[in-house]
Amino acid sequence: MKKLLFYFCLTISALIFLYPFLWMISASLAPESEIGNLFALPSSFSLHSYLSMFNKIPIGRAFVNSMIVASSITFGVLLTGSIVGYALSRLQFKGRDLIFYIIIFTMTLPFQITLIPQYIIMVKFGWVDTYLALIAPYMINALSIIMFRQYFKTIPQDLIDAARIDGCGDFRIVFRILWPNSIPAIVTIGIITFMASWNEVLWPLIVIRDESLMTMPQLVTLFAVGGRAESQLGVKLAAAVMLALPIIIVYLFFQKYFIQSMTSTGIKD
Amino acid sequence: MKNRRVKNKLLPYIFVSPYILHFLLFVAFPVLFSIILTFHKWNIISPMEFTGLNNYVRLFKDTIFLKSISNTLIFLVIHIPLQIIVALFIAEILNQNIKFKGFYRSAFFLPVIVSGVVVTMLWQQLYGFDSGLLNRLLTSVGLPKIGWLIDPAMAMPSIAIMATWKNVGLYIILFLVGLQTVPRHYYEAAELEGANHWQKFFKITLPMINPTIFMVVILSTIGGFSLFIEPYIMTGGGPLNSTISAVLYIYKQGFFYYHMGYATTLGLFFAMLILLVVVTQKKFLEKGE
Amino acid sequence: MIIISKILFKVFIPVLLIITTFGCTKNSKSETDLLYWSSNLPEEILFAKYITTEWNENKKTYHIKFQPVPEGQSSEEVILAAVVGKTTPDIYSNMWQGDVEVYGLAGVLIPFDTLEGFWDFINERCDSTTIAEVTSSDGHIYQIPWKINPIMMIYNQNIIKELNLKEVPRTYSEFTSAAKQFQKDSDGDGYVDRWFGYSEVLVTWWQRFFDFYPLYLAASGGAPLIENNKAVFNNEYAVGVFKFLKNLYDNNYFSRERLSTKQDIFLSGVVATRFTGPWEIAHSEKFKPAGFEYGFQNMPVPDNYTGPVYTYCDPKNIVVFNTCINPQLAFNFIKFALSKKNDLKFLELTNQLPRRKGIDENPFYKEYFENNLKMKIFAEQAKYVKGTDINPKLKEVFDLISQEYEACVIYGVKTPEDAVRDAAEAVDLLFLD
Repeated sequence: MKKLLFYFCLTISALIFLYPFLWMISASLAPESEIGNLFALPSSFSLHSYLSMFNKIPIGRAFVNSMIVASSITFGVLLTGSIVGYALSRLQFKGRDLIFYIIIFTMTLPFQITLIPQYIIMVKFGWVDTYLALIAPYMINALSIIMFRQYFKTIPQDLIDAARIDGCGDFRIVFRILWPNSIPAIVTIGIITFMASWNEVLWPLIVIRDESLMTMPQLVTLFAVGGRAESQLGVKLAAAVMLALPIIIVYLFFQKYFIQSMTSTGIKD
Repeated sequence: MKNRRVKNKLLPYIFVSPYILHFLLFVAFPVLFSIILTFHKWNIISPMEFTGLNNYVRLFKDTIFLKSISNTLIFLVIHIPLQIIVALFIAEILNQNIKFKGFYRSAFFLPVIVSGVVVTMLWQQLYGFDSGLLNRLLTSVGLPKIGWLIDPAMAMPSIAIMATWKNVGLYIILFLVGLQTVPRHYYEAAELEGANHWQKFFKITLPMINPTIFMVVILSTIGGFSLFIEPYIMTGGGPLNSTISAVLYIYKQGFFYYHMGYATTLGLFFAMLILLVVVTQKKFLEKGE
Repeated sequence: MIIISKILFKVFIPVLLIITTFGCTKNSKSETDLLYWSSNLPEEILFAKYITTEWNENKKTYHIKFQPVPEGQSSEEVILAAVVGKTTPDIYSNMWQGDVEVYGLAGVLIPFDTLEGFWDFINERCDSTTIAEVTSSDGHIYQIPWKINPIMMIYNQNIIKELNLKEVPRTYSEFTSAAKQFQKDSDGDGYVDRWFGYSEVLVTWWQRFFDFYPLYLAASGGAPLIENNKAVFNNEYAVGVFKFLKNLYDNNYFSRERLSTKQDIFLSGVVATRFTGPWEIAHSEKFKPAGFEYGFQNMPVPDNYTGPVYTYCDPKNIVVFNTCINPQLAFNFIKFALSKKNDLKFLELTNQLPRRKGIDENPFYKEYFENNLKMKIFAEQAKYVKGTDINPKLKEVFDLISQEYEACVIYGVKTPEDAVRDAAEAVDLLFLD
């Protein structure tokens, strides 16, 4: 009896979380005139909203931009995070603790403080309306350094010593010895970095004005608030579906990793 | 050999140099520059103009900015307890011996991974007054419609509800992890002493998962302070500035009106406020443990 | 892991290379060309292409290179970014009149009055009020009046018939009583779902171009909002507009909900009127359901109002940036682009009005207006339009008015008198620092 109540509660809540998405997909496929009264399925399905949305905004281009930006940032963060994390965990040098504390401190620094000066730097560098503005400020991430540092600390020193005897340099040690032994950390950092940069929208809104360089969330946001949808609701929802789709597909395949990564860091987006 | 030693001494610095560079360029310089900017008036295209403490004076008289801070607080006051209660409730059920746990977990987690832009566009439709899904549901069971986004008293709570829907999946999992660390025999012992479900919850579960609650509070607070895209898309800050968030207001001042000096002042002040709140929370919550 | 590091170097490095090349290919123009940016509306691109080709083929002196303004959030932001990054074009043809003063005073625009042949040109094209409207506070003229889109009231002809109205409402009372008559709850759920009109409820400053500002100009016969850095709108006209609109919202004849996030409310008959510009013609023709009929009418005026009805015209003008090496040549091109013949071409291609005096009576354009009767209404309205006051803080002024507008008109938490007075005081404060 109690069990039944549990299942009832869970199913209702699951419905609350899933139904809006299903409604959105259904509405994006419905004829424009039916969206206002739609509960479940429309009388007929059509791709009209999608076709007209593709005509109005360069969403394909935006997808490519988002891919370029998010993967560059992810690669960059993995690369720099592991190198700096290695130095902090395995090398002895003056100022190591100082740097560590600076990293911890910057993690607590709210972004609101640096938002405008960072924009001005972009302007002065002439990076506004280039990929550099989207990528460069995010190439290094304090959290990933700390995570790599913590993870590398758990790897036995013997492994590194053995590699050194074999004549490995430090770069080789990081990428040939430590990386293969740090898959969980790499996956976690990779997923959260990719997700965060894929979903970022405030920064692109500030530094990108050229439509051909816009990322997907930015383009869809401007489409939602701007006039280009010509007051057609279906095309807006179609754009929203297109924005949600890539990450949902990836999520369906790797949900275990997603959930693990995000709960282990507590990071949303 | 000597060469090698010099190289070995230098090497760590080469390794940390990307971080140093990044820190100087994107953290240290912006922070220093922003302090300078707060004493200036600057629209980027004309030369900077020194205005002393004008920006600070203006800030304390700026009713919209003060409103944006109180809006943020309203958001947090609704969002945090709601988040914790809902997440704990669902996590408690999931922690029982339940089938299809994986399915439920994935369902709750879905909004977490989807962009806030999508969630906001979607909820904008759900919240529609005349033909929104929620109001159609309400009227179909004979209840009055709610002015989700058009009633100034309701708009921020509506955004807080939406934000809860979006994030709660993450916290369900966090709580689930926390609940699983509570040893079974604690409950068994309590049952022997005749404790009921609520007593067990308040006497055993709650104290045991305190660290998780602590984490949820801090994370939600930081998230709440960065509220931007939701009001940007949904309400533009209205009605009657009831949903304007501090970040949205800073964005408007900076990138609508190009009041760079003033916007920076707001940013600096707001950042200090965030640090203050988070530090106080930490102190307070750690004491509670 | 070897694979990953391989990917790193095989993918990452090329990506970086691509980025750097993209970053550098932004402005490519040879020294002898002049770069011309138009807006990025498809119709305007057609027109810009047409005139640049015409020019380049017939006049061999120098070349005009045309490019639409890089598409972005708004063209204003793109221009600002270009000014900041010193990547401005030589000629830009879509500058909102209210923005020119900021750039003019910041010294990034060429004053046309210093160029040869300017006065002859401008006196032939514009009447004295228009010239005064575009003259900067420093006495120079930094812009050439180009095109306008006057704001008028569009109405659903079928609904007007349905309501048995003798004529389309002209005054506040006529409008209000028609609104009362039309308001209804069509699905019987106890809530109004048909409103006589709708105006955007967002507080964004430029939304007031479509309600408060044209109504204010209509009521006052084209009075200014600001003069010599002082608010001059604390008067019966502004208060009257606030009262008129507030009453509509108070009685739910206008909806407080943001209906614009839904389907097209005018074409689906949810509202009977809107305040809008000539672009609505093309939009309606494209999306209207079968049997749908509509027309345009002046903005509503106070009951005792007599005389011509003014409105706001959303003027977009042409400017030359100071990065231009040969402003005189740029001006000559502009003269060509705005010739009588090319203005006609512009009308035909874009369905927007050139800001040229007497365009509705000029025989040269007669045929076009006979074929486009709805455009003729706008051409006639064009005699009684106003652009913007000359002031570098115009956006802030509209923002302050909009804040009070929302509090009073939409949410009724303030009386019209208080709201207008508070807005005027706030504007005056703005000019103190």
